[in-house]
Amino acid sequence: MLKLMKKEDGFSTPYTCMNAIKKGGIETKLSMVLMGFGNFVHKQKIKGLLYLAVEAAYLVFMLMNGIGFLSMLGSLGSVPQKEVWDEANQVYVYTQGDQSVLILLYGVATVLLTLLMIWVWRGTLKSAYKAECLDKNGQHVNTFAEDLKSLLHENLHRLLMTPPMAAICIFTILPLIFMICMAFTNYSKIGNHLMLFDWVGLENFKALFDSNSILGSTFWSVLGWTLIWAFFATFSNYIFGMILAMVINRKDTKAKGFWRFCFVLSCAVPMFVSLLIMRTMLQPNGAVNVLLRNLGWIGADASLPFFTDPTWARVTVIVINIWVGVPYTLLQLTGVLQNIPEELYEAAKVDGANAVQRFFKITLPYMLYVTTPYLIVTFTGNVNNFNIIYLLSVGDPVTDLASTAGKTDLLVTWLYKLTIDKQYYNIGAVIGILTFIILAVGALLTYRNSKSYKEGGI
Amino acid sequence: MAAAKMKSAKTKRLINNTIVHVVLAILAVIWVFPIIWVVLTSFRAEKGSYVSTFLPQSYTLDNYIKLFTDISILNFPKMFMNTLIIAIFSCLIATFYTLAVSYCLSRLKFKLRKPYMNMAMILGLFPGFMSMVAVYFILKAAGLTEGNMIRVALILCYSGGAGLGFQIAKGFFDTIPYAVDEAAILDGCTKWQVFTKVTLPLSKPIIVYTVLTAFMAPWLDFIFAKVICRANSDQYTIAIGLWKMLEKEYIDSWYTSFAAGAVLISIPIAILFLCMQKYYVDGVSGAVKG
Amino acid sequence: MGKRRAALLMAGVLAVTGLAGCGGAESQDSGAKEKVRLMVWSPSEDQSKDSGQWLQNTCEDFAELHPEWDITFVYGIADEATAANQVAQDPEASADVFMYANDTLTIMTDANALAKFGGKYREEIETTNSPEVLESLVKDGDLYGVPFTTNTWFMYYDKSVFSEEDIKNLDTMLEKGTVSLPFTNSWYLPSFYIGNGCTLFGDGTDESKGVDFSGEKAAEVTDYLIDLAANPNFEIDADGSGLAGLRDGSINAIFSGSWDANAVKEALGDNMGAAALPTYTLNGQEKQMTAYAGSKAIGVNPYSKNMVAAVELAVYLGSADAQKTHYELRNVIPCNTELLEEKSIAADPPVSAQNDTFNRTSILQPFVAKMNNCWVPVENMGKGIRNGSVTHENSAQQTEDMNEAMNSDGI
Repeated sequence: MLKLMKKEDGFSTPYTCMNAIKKGGIETKLSMVLMGFGNFVHKQKIKGLLYLAVEAAYLVFMLMNGIGFLSMLGSLGSVPQKEVWDEANQVYVYTQGDQSVLILLYGVATVLLTLLMIWVWRGTLKSAYKAECLDKNGQHVNTFAEDLKSLLHENLHRLLMTPPMAAICIFTILPLIFMICMAFTNYSKIGNHLMLFDWVGLENFKALFDSNSILGSTFWSVLGWTLIWAFFATFSNYIFGMILAMVINRKDTKAKGFWRFCFVLSCAVPMFVSLLIMRTMLQPNGAVNVLLRNLGWIGADASLPFFTDPTWARVTVIVINIWVGVPYTLLQLTGVLQNIPEELYEAAKVDGANAVQRFFKITLPYMLYVTTPYLIVTFTGNVNNFNIIYLLSVGDPVTDLASTAGKTDLLVTWLYKLTIDKQYYNIGAVIGILTFIILAVGALLTYRNSKSYKEGGI
Repeated sequence: MAAAKMKSAKTKRLINNTIVHVVLAILAVIWVFPIIWVVLTSFRAEKGSYVSTFLPQSYTLDNYIKLFTDISILNFPKMFMNTLIIAIFSCLIATFYTLAVSYCLSRLKFKLRKPYMNMAMILGLFPGFMSMVAVYFILKAAGLTEGNMIRVALILCYSGGAGLGFQIAKGFFDTIPYAVDEAAILDGCTKWQVFTKVTLPLSKPIIVYTVLTAFMAPWLDFIFAKVICRANSDQYTIAIGLWKMLEKEYIDSWYTSFAAGAVLISIPIAILFLCMQKYYVDGVSGAVKG
Repeated sequence: MGKRRAALLMAGVLAVTGLAGCGGAESQDSGAKEKVRLMVWSPSEDQSKDSGQWLQNTCEDFAELHPEWDITFVYGIADEATAANQVAQDPEASADVFMYANDTLTIMTDANALAKFGGKYREEIETTNSPEVLESLVKDGDLYGVPFTTNTWFMYYDKSVFSEEDIKNLDTMLEKGTVSLPFTNSWYLPSFYIGNGCTLFGDGTDESKGVDFSGEKAAEVTDYLIDLAANPNFEIDADGSGLAGLRDGSINAIFSGSWDANAVKEALGDNMGAAALPTYTLNGQEKQMTAYAGSKAIGVNPYSKNMVAAVELAVYLGSADAQKTHYELRNVIPCNTELLEEKSIAADPPVSAQNDTFNRTSILQPFVAKMNNCWVPVENMGKGIRNGSVTHENSAQQTEDMNEAMNSDGI
């Protein structure tokens, strides 16, 4: 019982890769070349054959395709499309050339596959060594059936983590590394490098940090606004949502469910629908201005510059974001609020504290302590909040005519414009990387200190 | 004297309550207002995207009828079915991934636990759509970009990254006392049986939450769907269809139907959200503690 | 174990011979017809039942004209503006024949995703289309598509408000009724600048010459536009307000293209008029508003497995017969020179307006790669005038900034 409760601080085991290479017997050393051999010899026949099959599959793949992909990774292809005039049929016939994008993608995929294979190879080596040791000591060596059963118990994590991890590798990690590589090439519409491009090293980064270039100055101003936006968006939603949750939560408030329903209703309409409608409503000739004109609050030709004046646009975007985000915050914070012990409030009331003091001295500190990870996640989410800015203001207004970004553009929406609209893929990739670095440093530090990271995992 | 004090305290409470309810009412109106405007627009008889008056001047059901009858250009019922199929399957897969990962991180001890959590945090910091081009070519290499396989492709896309969204579920699992697991293990259960027979039944709120959030994703995303569906209009999802209704050639005759379509897909999502609300509050309160 | 293995072996042998037999039988048959699979993309209206299924019918006619091929058609939806992006993204998995707008031509040639037309096919195309239309599809001397319609914008007006004389000049119109133009749309706004002598890339094909929207000639236009926007009889057309204004009578003339013909007809009925662009008066002189003109064409994918069939189909889809049915079913204005001489077609107001504009009051929209940089700066100029950040005091400087932006990559 006590053993189960105590947290083990290490995962030390004698069956490491180094030990396998140094101390293993002949069959284990042979397993380095012929995967599964050690297992096969030590009564784990099926497991051994499976490892061998995996090795065979990998080698076949490498011989047929992999070596080719890796070899082209350096040059990224150089053969352009060939065109031949077919006089008999009076048509041009084309033979396809190299496509650098595909070469890069397949090359990166092969590299990742090889890394994965090395990791699997190490695992099989450890397994062979373990089988050898157990066998030599006369201990029981798992049969295949027993191995499968252990997947349901000691190795449950292997069973449960492998499918999600595989999906993440294919759909998130591989594209990500591919994109990072793009930042070091000249894959861009400039200079007609969309089909065949080459490695250019750090040139794109130099262009970005050169503040004399348009790109450089745009980058710093967009970065500044992104951080300001993320801060205001996160905290305005948080405070407002919390106050709203508290107000609805009060003992004296009637029809709590009804109030919550009203606010949550706005979540139900898909975000892009409600944001697009808001955008058209706030145009100079949109519904809101029409209404204000009809009501006589503004002149007949005037219109409030919701998206045409930079400061108005920035404020509008933050305000609309409150509309979008508060229902979610409301739902999430209600639960936490309900967990604050009543006694704290009772004691404070007895001591004569009024509502405002109770809020600042009890509620706010408790909430901040409990929801710090949530705040961090929301902050980083807001830095990358593509939907709201792109659908609402499309980055308008653009006051610097030469720049590719507008005054409400975040790094993400600017990246989207550069990549999709202008096809400057490499610059977009560079911005993606820089956004990430800025966020990662801050987020990792704060996250690792949070309770969630330290606790959990018995 | 005491009676007077009590009376003034009571009136004070009464005034406070009234103010609170009035403020709540105003805020509720502000929040619900754009939704009402969308609903009104969906019944509007005047065509086009621009109106000179704030409220519609005449009402009609034609916009809804158009969604179901005028299917030669934008086939709303087919897109609805496509999206429903994709949503159901991707929600099943995504829920499995999320719960599996959350349980492992919360309950099991293994060497890669902390590195995994770091990695998940890092991966979440990259903007999602940068991977569009790569994902398209990966799916093409797997042969999933033609005809009916496109639905499979979309299902894989939407559920692919589910293993990274474990925070809330993990937080919930953290609140279940470990003693429950211990008792089960002492009774002779394998950890898998603990997961399926003990932990999951206790976690109905978080399961409901996970299922519903995973279910909603395919209805809302149009960027990925457009990249993968390309010209196969019979595989379009609702999001692409609604987006297309706003294009220059269609917007004049389809704007009001766009509002109608938005209302139609909002209704099931709204009902789900309401049912979820109860679970959401119960389930997330433990999770948000972090 | 032995028996099973033998059985498996037998099954394998049978399967292989069966397949070989099939192959043999097929090769005996196919002496008569060659199996051809053609994937065709078009906008959805061309394939919908409501609009007469122009594409399917024309393709079936084509199949009948070519009994030497056993053609299977596979249809997909891609409207002309976005077809190029789809094809360029993955040409191998794209249609053999598709319809695209000429200003997206370079997107595809950059991706090696557009086949050239040569020899007898090129001659055929050249004899049935006017030189200006052909110019819109020629890059570096090579022809890249079969044009089937021109693509430009002109003016719709209310005949009961404006007479034939009025519509020749914009300022005269403004005295008599309200006019609305998509001011913040950079496809429309440059018409004023080009009318006063500003140029794009020399004659439109020389990237090294750059954009010349600078100096006195551009600054005066900016000043004119500021006054235009402030004119009480001028409305900025945005988010469909022009069409809505035509419907309720608050606006009497809008600038749009053939895609709105039906809506305008519905709004104005018999009072619908369509005409080429008017002139505008700048400092006492009359300058011609000049629209960007282009075309929509049928292109062929160089990855096509059957080039001859694809090229033949493309030429057929752009032929006179096909253009005629296209016009009858969907009001797509033809560009075939023979068809345009037919009285019934020439008399249709949008047809004559579009062709008049194309011939007289437009320039070919440049489709060099750097044209991509010319949209946002002009759009911002329009927005700047609209919201008042561009005024008479800073108009010259703002115009210079706009010119510089149009000439820069943004890097």
